Amino acid sequence: MKIEKQFQDISQSQFSAPDGDSFLEKLHNERQRRIGKKVGLLNGLSAGIIVAVFGLITTSQLTDDPTIFASNDLTPLEIMDNETEEFVYELAEYLVENSDDIWETLTFLDEIEFETVVTMNNGGLE
Amino acid sequence: MKTDHELIKEFQEGRETAFNELVKRHLPNTYGFFIKFTADEVEAEDLAQDVFIKMYKALKKFRFESEFKTYLFRANVNMSNTYLRRTKWRNLLHLDQAPEPGYVDTGLEDEWRRKELWDAVSKLPSRQRMVVTMRIAQEMPYKEISKIMEISENSAKVNYHHAVKTLKDLFKN
Repeated sequence: MKIEKQFQDISQSQFSAPDGDSFLEKLHNERQRRIGKKVGLLNGLSAGIIVAVFGLITTSQLTDDPTIFASNDLTPLEIMDNETEEFVYELAEYLVENSDDIWETLTFLDEIEFETVVTMNNGGLE
Repeated sequence: MKTDHELIKEFQEGRETAFNELVKRHLPNTYGFFIKFTADEVEAEDLAQDVFIKMYKALKKFRFESEFKTYLFRANVNMSNTYLRRTKWRNLLHLDQAPEPGYVDTGLEDEWRRKELWDAVSKLPSRQRMVVTMRIAQEMPYKEISKIMEISENSAKVNYHHAVKTLKDLFKN
């Protein structure tokens, strides 16, 4: 390939420039589109940062480790409020006192791991 | 007729139409540069558009230390370097599909040759590549090239001759 000839061919090639007005219209549209894209990206990024910070703050405000919250009402499994605790104890006592077969009731309480009642007063035998 | 610097000043003061006038004034040269470079009308228009979008931002901080024409030309050369880097792999793929030696479509053959040439130019060292680009795409005199690149006229000539020699060697191989 003759390099100089190639250069000459390229230099002498003819062209007609695009229409100035339509070029400008496209230019400004593209510019606006890029600005919009940039703004969208920044908004998305800011929203992401806000959500992350909010989430972090919320998590750090919890008194208990979030992993122990397994029930739907977000009450820790090990902690019961007084009312529920009283109710469960009363229910257990009722079951023990009124069951036809006390051993069956105790087995049931054992199954639900209600150890306190099972061992309470030697399982109600005293 | 207002000078480029006057138009830039007006644009900096917030008159958008001054920028439009500037674009219209320099569009033929910029588009001409890229059409010689890419041989593709759509790509040339896209590259010219990219350059002017960059100019829109840059002109707000323009310090009037150089001619706008020189400033714009530097931007064109930088854009062409970016384009060469971006399309290097694409050129390689295109070269794989180059027409057979006996192919009759001379127009297409010319296009392949041009692609081959630009691909070779992209492999030149940066300074040589810039000088060659300016010489080929705009038939720019060495004096002007030296002004744009801030090198001596002799250095521009030496770089050009080194580039031509390297290109010849590349095509021999």
